[in-house]
Amino acid sequence: MHRRTCLLALAGLPLTRLLAADEPAAESTAREVVFAPVLPGRTLVFPDDEGAHPEFRTEWWYVTGWLDLPDGRPLGFQVTFFRVRTGIGEDNPSAFAPRQLILAHAAIADPELGRLRHDQRAARSGFGRAGFSTGRAGVWLGDWSFEQIGDGYRARVDAEDFGYDLAFLPDGPPLLNGQEGFSLKAPGRDNASYYYSRPQLTVEGRLTLDGHRQSVAGRAWMDHEWSSAYIPEGADGWDWVGLNLDDGGAIMAFRMRRTDGGKLWASATLRSPDGSAEHLSLEAVEFEPLRSWKSPRTGIEYPVEWRLSLGTRRFTLRPLMDDQELESRRSTGTIYWEGAMRLLENGREIGRGYLEMTGYGERIQVG
Amino acid sequence: MLEISDLQRRFDGRPVLRSVSMRLEPGEYVAITGESGVGKSTLLNLIAGLDRPDGGRLALDGADYGDLDEDSLTRLRRDKLGFVFQAFHILPHLTLRQNVVLPLWLKGRKGPQADREADRLLDAVGLADRADSWPRELSGGEMQRVAIARALVHAPRLILADEPTGNLDPSNAAKVLTLLAERIRASGAMGILVTHSPEAARSADRVLHLTPEGLSA
Amino acid sequence: MTLAPVFLGSLARRRTATLFSFVAILLGVALGMAVQAVNQAALSEFGRGMRTMAGAADLQVVGPRGGFDEGLYATLAARSEVAQASPVLEMRTERIGSADGLRILGIDLFAAGPVTPALLPRPAEIQDGSDRDTRLAALAEDSLFLSMAAREALQVDPGDRIQVHAEDRTLTLRVAGDLPGAPDDPRLAVMDIAAVQKHFSRIGRLTRIDLRLAGGQDAQTARAALEPLLPAGLMLEVPEAAVDQAANLSRAYRVNLTMLAAIALVTGGFLVFSAQALSVVRRHTELAFLRAIGLARRQLFLWLLAEGALVGLLGGLAGVALGHGIALGLLTLLGGDLGAGFFSGLSPTLRFSPWASAAYVLLGIGAGVAGAWLPAREAAAVAPARALKSGDDSALSGGRGVPMLSLAMLTASLPACFIPPIQGLPLGGYLAIACLLAGAVMLLPTLASMLARTLPLRGPVPARLAAARLAAAPGQSVIAATGVLASVALVAAMAIMVGSFRDSVDVWLGQILPADLYLRAGRAQSAGSLDEALQARLGKIPGVARVQFTAFESLRLEPGRAPVELLARPVSPDGDGLPLVGSARPAAKGETQIWISEAMRDLYGWRPGERVLIPLAGDEVAVQVAGVWRDYARQGGAIMMDLADYRRLTGDASVQTAAIWLAPGADGIRVGEALKSTSDSGALEVAFPGEIRERSLTIFDRTFVVTYVLEAAAVVIGLAGVAASFAALTAARRREFGMLRHLGLTRRQIGAMLALEGTLAAGVGVLGGLAAGGAISLILIEVVNRQSFHWSMDLHLPWASLLWFAGLLVALAGLAAILAGRQAMREDALLAVREDW
Repeated sequence: MHRRTCLLALAGLPLTRLLAADEPAAESTAREVVFAPVLPGRTLVFPDDEGAHPEFRTEWWYVTGWLDLPDGRPLGFQVTFFRVRTGIGEDNPSAFAPRQLILAHAAIADPELGRLRHDQRAARSGFGRAGFSTGRAGVWLGDWSFEQIGDGYRARVDAEDFGYDLAFLPDGPPLLNGQEGFSLKAPGRDNASYYYSRPQLTVEGRLTLDGHRQSVAGRAWMDHEWSSAYIPEGADGWDWVGLNLDDGGAIMAFRMRRTDGGKLWASATLRSPDGSAEHLSLEAVEFEPLRSWKSPRTGIEYPVEWRLSLGTRRFTLRPLMDDQELESRRSTGTIYWEGAMRLLENGREIGRGYLEMTGYGERIQVG
Repeated sequence: MLEISDLQRRFDGRPVLRSVSMRLEPGEYVAITGESGVGKSTLLNLIAGLDRPDGGRLALDGADYGDLDEDSLTRLRRDKLGFVFQAFHILPHLTLRQNVVLPLWLKGRKGPQADREADRLLDAVGLADRADSWPRELSGGEMQRVAIARALVHAPRLILADEPTGNLDPSNAAKVLTLLAERIRASGAMGILVTHSPEAARSADRVLHLTPEGLSA
Repeated sequence: MTLAPVFLGSLARRRTATLFSFVAILLGVALGMAVQAVNQAALSEFGRGMRTMAGAADLQVVGPRGGFDEGLYATLAARSEVAQASPVLEMRTERIGSADGLRILGIDLFAAGPVTPALLPRPAEIQDGSDRDTRLAALAEDSLFLSMAAREALQVDPGDRIQVHAEDRTLTLRVAGDLPGAPDDPRLAVMDIAAVQKHFSRIGRLTRIDLRLAGGQDAQTARAALEPLLPAGLMLEVPEAAVDQAANLSRAYRVNLTMLAAIALVTGGFLVFSAQALSVVRRHTELAFLRAIGLARRQLFLWLLAEGALVGLLGGLAGVALGHGIALGLLTLLGGDLGAGFFSGLSPTLRFSPWASAAYVLLGIGAGVAGAWLPAREAAAVAPARALKSGDDSALSGGRGVPMLSLAMLTASLPACFIPPIQGLPLGGYLAIACLLAGAVMLLPTLASMLARTLPLRGPVPARLAAARLAAAPGQSVIAATGVLASVALVAAMAIMVGSFRDSVDVWLGQILPADLYLRAGRAQSAGSLDEALQARLGKIPGVARVQFTAFESLRLEPGRAPVELLARPVSPDGDGLPLVGSARPAAKGETQIWISEAMRDLYGWRPGERVLIPLAGDEVAVQVAGVWRDYARQGGAIMMDLADYRRLTGDASVQTAAIWLAPGADGIRVGEALKSTSDSGALEVAFPGEIRERSLTIFDRTFVVTYVLEAAAVVIGLAGVAASFAALTAARRREFGMLRHLGLTRRQIGAMLALEGTLAAGVGVLGGLAAGGAISLILIEVVNRQSFHWSMDLHLPWASLLWFAGLLVALAGLAAILAGRQAMREDALLAVREDW
């Protein structure tokens, strides 16, 4: 859902605001392309729904998590693969026809560096250069990939100054967000996605930083979401968290912000250690900024510490480091904040996860 | 001091000079006369280092130069000899001062100092006010006066004058001869005047006659 | 420098002669400099364009113009040696209804980003503020992105629509934005690769793959690893290779022009020679006097050389300035291609190169020094005592010819013609021309004196005197004649060569354009093909008796070499109808035979009867060379094969042009209209052979504009030489005239004598020049052109214009002599004589 921001960053210069289109790019296609709608009542089937849904406009597989280096130092990491159906060239017999694009983005939050390392790629699917699988998770772009391996997943990234090859093993079945995987983004029924999460993924693998390779282990979170809708009317940006609790529980929460900063929509899913899930709706979810950090690069102020209220529980979110801003002005002009967070309750750390904040600079032109 | 003894020169085996000897003391100015074809110019060319003798001795201030190579002869002419020609040989594209200063240029001297020397000599021949004129504005007599100034500007040891009045009318000729003698004496150099005119010869200190047998007083 | 006023000042005294020498050197240097500057500007512009295109690519896969299978892209992109592969499909087309050429690059912008960032399109914002059209504009199938220069050339703005040829159809595209990284190329356009494949019916085809190698990979190793993966006919090239190829293709043409300029410079050297020689004679006693008062022989020599060097330096400096001016004019007028078409479409900017300019100034100085050398040596050798005494001008030496040496030089030019080209340059030919010219000049005195001796010593006194002078002392007059000879030789050689060439091209055009009408889909051969259905329709049009199709393709036979053109059209088994050179050796039945152009024979060493392999449709195909044909259009080589063979071997039925023969009585124009209406309006073009021929000859003539400029310069130089030499000569002979006047000759008679002398000298020069020019033209045709451009031509002598030119030159020389004499006799000759008494 929310993290379509990355699309902007990833799409490369000509694709700026790709997804902001409120109707298909006109005249370039011979006939109107019909994207599959997101409707309530569909039952998600696994592993089939782990795979791609190319008839929908957008889709992503989004992994975030914490890693421990052999010396015990913590790092945050993130890797995302997007699939975009452009509506262009649907009837073009060319193997290059840009019907489906794959975009990928990866980052490492390293407190020792004090800012993010990140890299991005984009390609049209085809020629073995980029593609996706249906029926099971599988999406790749050059030598970057995310795929289903047995019960778990594997992500491989080889970027300019970092790289990793990580295996993820879930502790239970997928966690369906919203109404059994039908996730609303705004009042009404028009803005929705299919959305499930895989919290509490055990991570093992290798990480390369500046050419130095080491073994790492940690915990991660995977989101898979697909939709044909755009950003809801009146929304200016969003805040999203995915958190793994030390007791085995998990929290997913997001809110869509209005232009005046108020809450347009919010939703959360809580999983208890025994695996039972509870869905919280609009009224029960509150995001409250506690402390702000101003980016020296962009001058944008981000709330980097939050009070998160879910029903009666009060949590505090603190960043692994303040500067986890993603600044790709040079290529796309898109700026947002996405970083590793600690979750505290009653002053005690009870879990870790990721926070994404968009739309703090200018109105985000995305989903 | 110029010493010539038993000087010989042949052309195509025909002897032109059989045996010529003479001696010129410092400050002395002699005239050499003779019939046409007797070898006056040949003798002058030998003394000037423009030609080389087939025998005998040539020495200026004790230094033999009869068998020097061409470069040394060129240096000798540049440094120690001064010339006055019948045809003047004033370069038309140089001013009078430039014409006079030319021998100093050849010695690598250029600049106000050299120009002053030239002006001094031009003054001595009565053309000081025309230093910046061009040769085409001059009469024959004036040209030859410039040539005399030029022959003396670099303080040579020996001045050679070859029929200097040959192209001049009698009144101008007399003036030029007087000036030449006067300037040579004033400079302290030796002088040789070659002429077929007995009248002209009288302007020198003594007169020598060149005959096929040699030089005689 | 103390003696500078003595020597260099004397140049000012003989202003006319100095001025002519100066002008001659100026022209030679200016023309050479102009050719160099224009070509350098064109090459660097071309190179810049190539670098923009190639971006960060380390290697490029190139192949036939028709392209290759896109599967190779997947293969190469997956290799570990390759960091990024960027597929390109290039189409050349035109805007419908105009000659505006477009080079559309279909790219995958995601792959091109890291390799050729300059090609990335920038979608324009749409005015009404909605983001509607801009979002996916870069991928949209009708989006065309133009360089700023192309937008200006086509006069379109974002949002406008333009129509271009696509096959035999009209394709309407929307100008969606520009190419911020490549603003300068006026033909450059970018589209999405999938859209190009679709619109131009090139599904599955690529024309190029740009490769950026993985870090740590060196191009050599990677090349060795990747080359085996390429199908036949594809090459891996470093991007600079294209620049080299362009430089190589244009080099021969450029060197030829430069050599012509060099001949102008040599003529300038002759003028310096004649001016100096005469000046030294006039200053005989002056120089002797300087020697007498102590100027060393060597100093005299060096100072006399310095006189020539000064003229050369001034001419060189002015020539470099004028050369840049001419270059600017040529660039504005003709663009960078000097009319030869190698760089058409570029708009290069002139840049001042200090090194090249210094070199050309040095050349000017060299010409001046070379011209002054002999006179200086002679002057320095003179014994001052004699010169002082004699005081006359008769001590002219150098007037005798050196018949043995000159005959040796003339003979040496023959073996020089057989030296094979060195790095594609006909250096042997140039050497032969140099030998010939030098030999002819040295032989001139002997020739003049022999000629004069055959003249009867009869007739009026002035005629006798003139003839006697030429016979006895040819040196002086011959000095004047050398300039005439050199320029006449140049003009005659060029006139014969260009005349032969134009004649041969004319005949050749007739042979290769035998039909009544020609039909094609746009001018660009890569974009406009006629598909099978259209081919069938054409034959059914009323008034059409016969249709013959031609398919064009380009093949890569060797890395580093420019592509070879393949023409496939119906060819009779014995090559009948082709402009064959030599006899045909048709292959045995069952063999596929090809006909190669002369360039193929020279560049690839193929011979009739030989079996060779050519890459067709990704396979090596064995074919037999059946014969050689003459082709003036494709310098890189061309292969002709029968269309049926081509279709059998490639499976490609599309063709690019159709030649149409009309039925008896059919109206060409009406049939042309009917032919055009077989497809989208405006998509097809019809041309009549007459138009094509006219256009071709216009292009041909434009190509030789520069040589005409050189010829004009040569004539000016030749006349200047005659005038200057005679002015100097007559001035030196004032006393002789005075004496003759004393003896009772009238001014008129002396004038007649001078005119006759001038005419005789010029006549000798013209005769020698015509002979030398004829020989040089043979060298140009048989050696220089063959080795440079690999084409032969039939000798065609433009007798009338040559004779007209020769006569005019002789007459003008006589006139120049009279004028010079009148000048000299304005002073009272009677007085001049008296100086001797």
